[in-house]
Amino acid sequence: MAMSEAPSAERSPPPGRLPPGPTCRVDFSRPLDFTFLGRGVRGFAGDTVASALYAAGVRTFGRSLKYHRPRGLYSMEGESSNTFMAIDGVPNECAETTRLRAGMSVRAQNVRGDPRTDFFGLIDPFDRLMPAGFYYRLFHRPYGLWPLFQNGLRRMAGTGVLDTQHDHGRDGLRAERYMNAEVAIVGGGAAGMSAALAAAESGLRVCLFERRPWLGGHLAWRVRDFEGEPLHARAEALARRLRAAENVKVFTNSPVTGVWGENLVTGFTIGTEDDPFRECHWECRAATVVVAAGCMDRPLVFNHNDRPGVMQAGAAWRLARTCAVRPGWAAVFSVADDQSLEAAVDLSDLGVEVRGVADAREAGRQDPELVAALEKRGIPLLPGWAVSRAMGRRRVRACELRPLDGGGSSHFQCDLLVANGGMQPRIGVLATAKARLAYCTHTHTYQPAELPPGVFAAGSMTGLRDPRSIEGSGRLAGCRAADLASGAASDRRTDTARRDADALPGPVAGCDIRHGSGIGRGAKAFVDLDEDGTYKNVKESAAQGFDVPELAKRFGGFGLGPGQYRVTGQNLAMIMADLRGDPIETATPTTVRPPLAPPSLATLAGPGHDVHKRTPLHAEQAAHGAVFRRAGPWQRARYFSDDVTCRAEIRNVRNNVGILDSSPLGKFRIFGPDALNALQRVYISDMRKTRPGRCKYSAMCNDMGHLLDDGVIVEEGEDDYYFTTSSGRAGATVEWFRFHTRHDGWDYNLVNLTDVLGSLNIAGPNARKVLQRVTTDDVTNEAFPYMACRPITVGDGVRARCLRLGFVGELSYELHVPSSYSRYLWDLLMEAGADLGIRPFGLEAQYCLRAEKGHIIIGAESEARVTLTDIGMGWMWDRKDTASKKVGAPALRACEKQPGRMKLVGFRVDEGQGSPRDGALVVDGAEIVGYVCTTRRSEALGWQYGMALVCDGHAAKGATLSLQEEHKPGKRATFSATAIPPHFYDPRGTRLRA
Amino acid sequence: MTFRLTCPVCGKRDVYEFTFGGQERGPRPEQEELSAEDHFRWMQFRMIPCEPQEEWWYHAQGCGVWFRTTRDPGTNLEVEGDGDGDE
Ligand SMILES: [Zn+2]
Repeated sequence: MAMSEAPSAERSPPPGRLPPGPTCRVDFSRPLDFTFLGRGVRGFAGDTVASALYAAGVRTFGRSLKYHRPRGLYSMEGESSNTFMAIDGVPNECAETTRLRAGMSVRAQNVRGDPRTDFFGLIDPFDRLMPAGFYYRLFHRPYGLWPLFQNGLRRMAGTGVLDTQHDHGRDGLRAERYMNAEVAIVGGGAAGMSAALAAAESGLRVCLFERRPWLGGHLAWRVRDFEGEPLHARAEALARRLRAAENVKVFTNSPVTGVWGENLVTGFTIGTEDDPFRECHWECRAATVVVAAGCMDRPLVFNHNDRPGVMQAGAAWRLARTCAVRPGWAAVFSVADDQSLEAAVDLSDLGVEVRGVADAREAGRQDPELVAALEKRGIPLLPGWAVSRAMGRRRVRACELRPLDGGGSSHFQCDLLVANGGMQPRIGVLATAKARLAYCTHTHTYQPAELPPGVFAAGSMTGLRDPRSIEGSGRLAGCRAADLASGAASDRRTDTARRDADALPGPVAGCDIRHGSGIGRGAKAFVDLDEDGTYKNVKESAAQGFDVPELAKRFGGFGLGPGQYRVTGQNLAMIMADLRGDPIETATPTTVRPPLAPPSLATLAGPGHDVHKRTPLHAEQAAHGAVFRRAGPWQRARYFSDDVTCRAEIRNVRNNVGILDSSPLGKFRIFGPDALNALQRVYISDMRKTRPGRCKYSAMCNDMGHLLDDGVIVEEGEDDYYFTTSSGRAGATVEWFRFHTRHDGWDYNLVNLTDVLGSLNIAGPNARKVLQRVTTDDVTNEAFPYMACRPITVGDGVRARCLRLGFVGELSYELHVPSSYSRYLWDLLMEAGADLGIRPFGLEAQYCLRAEKGHIIIGAESEARVTLTDIGMGWMWDRKDTASKKVGAPALRACEKQPGRMKLVGFRVDEGQGSPRDGALVVDGAEIVGYVCTTRRSEALGWQYGMALVCDGHAAKGATLSLQEEHKPGKRATFSATAIPPHFYDPRGTRLRA
Repeated sequence: MTFRLTCPVCGKRDVYEFTFGGQERGPRPEQEELSAEDHFRWMQFRMIPCEPQEEWWYHAQGCGVWFRTTRDPGTNLEVEGDGDGDE
């Protein structure tokens, strides 16, 4: 039985490896070198990090959370945090499922140095000090000492350390994908593939998601003969048919994170060398979903069940069969289902000496064929027995088996202890889909009692074990899903599939073993490996009154860790039912929390593309040295030099002429018989007073009376208006108009011209000179006064809408032209103004210029606590108009006279006081009475001015404002200022009208 | 949370494409003689029924239409037959 160890020429497998069989996924011709704790290790293409380390002799992969117990490879599926490691500086990577790449640097975590000799391992004997819920109950008195304990505990516990210098996936190699399908299939085993093929026959779009790199589920590594061929060949045949189906899209390496409302299946794909991404988040909107997620080993709870060398049957089997790694030399099994017996036979055939198989089921319930196979190999089968404890300090050296109904024990020397309590379905996907799950006393698993619309379950998770039944259930589910998705009544195909499935063997009886035999106190019998939650802790929880799984989870942490429901869920529920003396079927598992598999946060954050808009004048401004900053969806020129106070830009506007790209300004046309009604509804002024050729300045409020937007409106013709909004509101304006007129059935059209039209401002005393040089139209003050709006012709005949406005407080024209003419107009104006010294200015200069003038910017000098009247713009409001039902008018009416509101005031910082900054507090003694919105030192004025929002008692003209800043904790600077009306520069507006 | 809504122009689309306009609460009240309290009641007060309710949605990432639909907040799903119940 044992294999010869003598190396047989070159064909012998590398050390620690078995000869690769037909199901092997590892390619010995492609070695991959990596490091573990700085030492070089060799693995092969197809290995996971854990399989390569295991082959290299590593047994202790890490240390446990609380007790720092050594932990080893356990499931090969990442069901627990046992093999969480730091890989290339990223903590908590699951070594069991992470594909090996050349050059990886792997380190153990939650240890000092080598996991085999962790200093904190000394804690393990003192488990009495850490009963269930100890974190909430102990070390809290005297309270002052708690932070000390807390920090100490945090240092010892926790998994992994975050390296803040690490790039953590901000590599841009993140993708996202949004799909639609008629049928989505979760799981690429025999059932999932059969379902996909059946659904595909109807011609529907089918997406199949498989978390492993290959299809086939548990058949993929099984070599047992069935109907004349090995099981893996059966799976391969299905996979070939599936790959040939044109309307099936197969996603491997793609764990599902959940199924949500109306069957939105979410998950991610882990990129291979051929993919352009590391991870891709996807969402698939499906009409129907077939869940064929399969089973995992139900962990067996017994003393020292966490020792390295104790593993699930699937893990030992897959190590041998998919990775050609020898799981051990001498093995003992304590299992409870036929598939695990098959694993014992198969491992024996692969050269592992199987010294005994305890089966928790009583004699006669085993597959006779497998019983015979064990007998033939001389492997003792012990029905009705289970393991009671594992022995060996750092790894398994022996174990003790006992009959479940009491009696003497037997010792076995072994280095591999394969243990489970049978199989449990992976119910996570069904749970997120909000299926009702109930305990089934036949299979002794949780089974869907009620499925949401369009969700079907199939395969081994429903308790089926016969491969034909698994395929048949998949086929039936696929037919039913296709019928529902296509709206067809159940067709003949489906009836046939149902009859076929009914004729095949049904769900197989399971085993209700709660824990190993002779568990005793159970202080080292782990129900939850991640949180070091033991059987004893469950009893403590129950004794403290936390005697249902959901409460015990909060109190003792069972199932809170990365394994979530998977390792802990069913066992916790079963043990708790036992402790309460309740019938087993009353046990309810804890809620399954998404994501069912963890994508990296970088993947959820997305590709991080900087999606923005550029104005038509981006290149022109860049050529003038513009420094661009994000402003809403736009990249806009903020400065034109490295002087962030923009003195030169400001001076040129005040004394000469500047040019500003204001293209992001919202530009709209509204027309139709009810256009005026709509304007009257959303604008706060009397919009009947608009005149052709005149800009009317007005504002929109929201229902709370807060200033939302301001701009100018021009009447262009009968029932036809042109208006501007602030850049930030351009995107929301149509929605706003339509929302507030939604009940009225008004007939108007509203067109967003923001991107269609470019906008340029020229501002400064020489602005008219420049403009006159590019147009033959009369732009003299008499013909084209302040607030006028005219179409003019510029250059070689480009029609421009010209608005004479004064946001920055100087003579200024705003020219709106089709975006495609923006560059022409820019060149024209720059050339015309060259000898006058025209130069561009940016947003920061504009911000200062308008603030000197006391023109507000929404969001800078207004906020959610102040209304239109509070910021001194109540003059716009048409108080008499109630018929239009203006948005915001009732609120303005209600709070206009309210005392204690914040008001906008201007101020001048007193001489010799220095320069406070935006955001400085306005204080009255110890009381904060407001804050500074904007403050700058003005070259034109020669003093520091600003605007502040202050409580109305402090807002009187001439009042002294005390401003305060805290530069460092406790280090305050104070300034005194005097409240003045916020029209600092050219208060009479003579420059605007010049 | 995820579900779909039926845009009268574009058909069933993911909820991500829409912005919520609140429960249907009737047209804006007449402002003549409207007390502040009545106004704020109309503006702010909402019933939270666990049964189908009429709602406004805006197809922001689509055709830009405001529409009414009847949806059950208990299941998140639209109710068939467009809700009035008396048809
Ligand atoms: Zn639409």
